[in-house]
Amino acid sequence: MKITKSLVIIMLLIAAALLPVVTEAYFISVAITILTFMTLSISWDMMLRTGQLSFGTAGFFGLGGYTGIIAVADFGVDPLVGIILGGLLAGGVSLLLGMAILRLRGLYFAITTMALASVFMVIIRNLNKLTGGPSGKIVYTTLFNYDSVKVYWLMLGITVGTIVVSEVFQRTRVHFAIDSIRADETVAKSHGVNIYKYLIFVFVVTSIIQGVIGSTYALQYGFVYPESSFSAHYLLLPIAMALVGGIYSTIGPVLGAIILGLSSEYLKLIMPYGHLIIYGVIIVVVVLFLPNGVYGAIKDVTGFRKRRLEER
Amino acid sequence: MESISFMRKHRNLFLLIAVIVVVAIWKPHAAIYGLQRGSLYSLVGLPLSLTLGVVGIMNLAHGDFLSLGIYFVYLFATNLGMDPLVSIIPVFFLLFGLGVVIYKLTITRVMKSGHLNQLLLTFGISMILLEAMNVIWTSRPRSVYVEYSSSSTTIAGVRFGTYELLYVVFAFAVLIALQLFLKKTRLGQATFAVGQNPQGAKIVGINTGFVYLFVFGISIAILGIAAGVMVPRFAIFPSVGSAFTMKSFCLVAMAGLGNLTGILVSGIVLGVGEAIVQSIPGYAGWSDIVFFGVLIAVIMIRSLRRQSL
Repeated sequence: MKITKSLVIIMLLIAAALLPVVTEAYFISVAITILTFMTLSISWDMMLRTGQLSFGTAGFFGLGGYTGIIAVADFGVDPLVGIILGGLLAGGVSLLLGMAILRLRGLYFAITTMALASVFMVIIRNLNKLTGGPSGKIVYTTLFNYDSVKVYWLMLGITVGTIVVSEVFQRTRVHFAIDSIRADETVAKSHGVNIYKYLIFVFVVTSIIQGVIGSTYALQYGFVYPESSFSAHYLLLPIAMALVGGIYSTIGPVLGAIILGLSSEYLKLIMPYGHLIIYGVIIVVVVLFLPNGVYGAIKDVTGFRKRRLEER
Repeated sequence: MESISFMRKHRNLFLLIAVIVVVAIWKPHAAIYGLQRGSLYSLVGLPLSLTLGVVGIMNLAHGDFLSLGIYFVYLFATNLGMDPLVSIIPVFFLLFGLGVVIYKLTITRVMKSGHLNQLLLTFGISMILLEAMNVIWTSRPRSVYVEYSSSSTTIAGVRFGTYELLYVVFAFAVLIALQLFLKKTRLGQATFAVGQNPQGAKIVGINTGFVYLFVFGISIAILGIAAGVMVPRFAIFPSVGSAFTMKSFCLVAMAGLGNLTGILVSGIVLGVGEAIVQSIPGYAGWSDIVFFGVLIAVIMIRSLRRQSL
């Protein structure tokens, strides 16, 4: 069982890595977008596993993008270094903010993170000299000089890295700490789990991931613009993907990103205007009829079958 | 004793009046614009507070229902030549019907599931509404012109638009109407009870399902009032209402759940704050930060105070 599982994973990885060889440029760009949202979705879900609903995904995504572009444009660093800087800045900012806001819970934490993301945007829009203000900023040395195959491999690497981190979190003691916080904070506290430390740790790690993916995404096109870099899409679509796939797991967001990413791309082709209506309908239908997501539904079905076999 | 309890009961209101008076002496323009805009924020925020407090649903489509109402008003104005303020009446009932239908079709099914699913559902609804408006009316800005909307007056050397004072009038009128409804009518008292304790309300025989349905419908319908007042002064495009969703959430978080008067107070305070920042030359772009800055500060102070207790 275990060997087949790892074989399947290796096959999937090879297939993903070889994708650019067999497909054309259009599909590679679709795949890059899907990977971007997949990573955001996984990182959002990792924070959710602690019981804290974060609405700051788009904020750290945009922050990373701006850091990357500014590092390349004003300080002339290599785009790859810019990506690392984007992650580091997002991590640093999240460490400082997390120390304050991770004392909040529930709705208040959610709204504060949402407000913080907007504060980032207002600050960046008004620091005209550094960020180009409302008109955005352009850089001419992009990631791998628009070589989308290399960008795809880098994106794939980041995504696989995120999946690995997420799985490590699921399998080590971090997982037990996180789960106990979500289940019952007071009990976790009284059993000696340092909730605050773990929350900050997870918050910083997920923010670094979001910053890295943000700067990669921005440097790939070589431009940032306040309204699009901090767009609510980078917050809401990952959430939708995680919920469609199934939350509290790594595979859920991955499945959700593939399903929603491909279907939205297909809908874009058959109806250029208003394809997002159908996308919204998909979300509503999934919420109403598959509340545990696709992965949850699959688990329910197979679990049911297993149980029936055992009964026999 | 009596007077002290009166003061304490209306502490927020006195604070509000004091703030406005101080600002009015310092920057008269900012005080008037802030009062006007803040009232509009509260007018939009009040129904959200009602849904969040009673139904317990975070309606992410709040602002999009407002946009839809604005388009309804626009349709009445262009096709029937109806005055935007008069069209409030049909739009109110149209939106009420729409709210009821949407509640029956979707919201009622997620009442028992977690916050996340509810959020995602309303996010999906928001997306459907926004994109439908984009398809039907395109993103081209439209406007409805009425003569009285650009009138202005001068008091003590300060010139300001008089039309916007309607925001203040309507915000107070809606607040008072809601308070009267909650205190004086049977349905209102039932609503209040459900907001306080849904389980207990059910036990004493209140039809909670109907209360939820009614509150959701009426909340959407109140947005029709806001839409009618906004139309003469706003450019009409599909995402015109989107910004109001977040601002309304800010107000609810500041006021606390179920505090309707608090919505008006915090709305006006934030509106005045925004207007002050906007009146400083060269820093107008920073005005958006006021809402979020104050919100974060309030939430942090609250949580720290709770911890020290």
